[in-house]
Amino acid sequence: MRKALLIALTIAATVVTALVAAPPFRSPITFSEAASMMTRTAVIVSLLFVWIIAGVAVTLMSGREIRYSSIEVRTSPLHCFALGLVAVTSFVLTAILFSYLIPYLVGIPLLLALAVFAIVTKIYGTIAVFHAIGTIVASARTREDLSQRRWLRGDLAMVVIGVLILGAIRLIPVVGTVVWGLVSIFGIGTALATKFGRREPWFLVWRPVSAG
Amino acid sequence: MNETCQRYAEDPEANAAHLRDCLACRQMYALLDGAIDSQPVRVEALPMAAWEGAGYRSWALVIGGSLALLVIAFTLCTAAGISLLRAVMSGMSTAQWRSFVFNAAEALRVASPVLQVLYGVGFVIVNTALVLLLRRAPRGIDA
Repeated sequence: MRKALLIALTIAATVVTALVAAPPFRSPITFSEAASMMTRTAVIVSLLFVWIIAGVAVTLMSGREIRYSSIEVRTSPLHCFALGLVAVTSFVLTAILFSYLIPYLVGIPLLLALAVFAIVTKIYGTIAVFHAIGTIVASARTREDLSQRRWLRGDLAMVVIGVLILGAIRLIPVVGTVVWGLVSIFGIGTALATKFGRREPWFLVWRPVSAG
Repeated sequence: MNETCQRYAEDPEANAAHLRDCLACRQMYALLDGAIDSQPVRVEALPMAAWEGAGYRSWALVIGGSLALLVIAFTLCTAAGISLLRAVMSGMSTAQWRSFVFNAAEALRVASPVLQVLYGVGFVIVNTALVLLLRRAPRGIDA
């Protein structure tokens, strides 16, 4: 079932890309349009290569954290989505505030710190979503299935499968951009919800010291 | 079940002598212990944990997938007449975001006081919502 879904998704992405590249009911595209589309596809695939390298590196360094964040996005998708939306809005509003403070010098380091935090959150969260997509599509459901598999198991494999599936979707014009935007929101949400997979609270609860 | 049986049920260690005297309790607890002992844990019947098999490193898939993407990217870049590095750099550019943020800050600087106050109120509301959402403990493995 999942293999069929995977193949169908890949074929669908290929067909849609081909239809957009060479639409059957439209006048032939000009040379500059074709060159522009080729450049756009080259940029997307080059970025996918960077994503796969980043995904493998982060998963090797902190596989358990990525797995915890992936579990969170699968068990509480609505919370992750809401948190991601609010966090992105907060990043933008805070960046505008810090840019407003640039003439007072304090804005520059604050803006840099915010940019680094936002980029790290997006990269980590997106890799967690790759893992979640890979697990939903290609993970083993039973121990027998797991023991029979030779290479399609483990965190690394799930991340790679996730990159390839979302990469195929990314090639679809408009749909790909929307899907990757949603992936970013889910990713930022799950990264913040799990505190980058550490599952620690962001804020300590204040309690008065009890006597004795 | 009389009062001594009740006391034994509440604290078996302190009333251990009761089990020697009471035949009904002895039979009942022997039955209960036997029921527990005779059912070994069947690991295969338990649901699979997320960490099972997770540590396996599938280098064949990683190298295959990376090389395939690299070859496709290199071919497309060559066909488009740009270098791979330049394609990556242009894809990672944050120029649009930077110009949006700087333009918004400039617009805010020259905006009317009412709009500036509205921006401040929005900023406080969004960040309060963020803090409230961050206070929820992750469910994840406990779900």
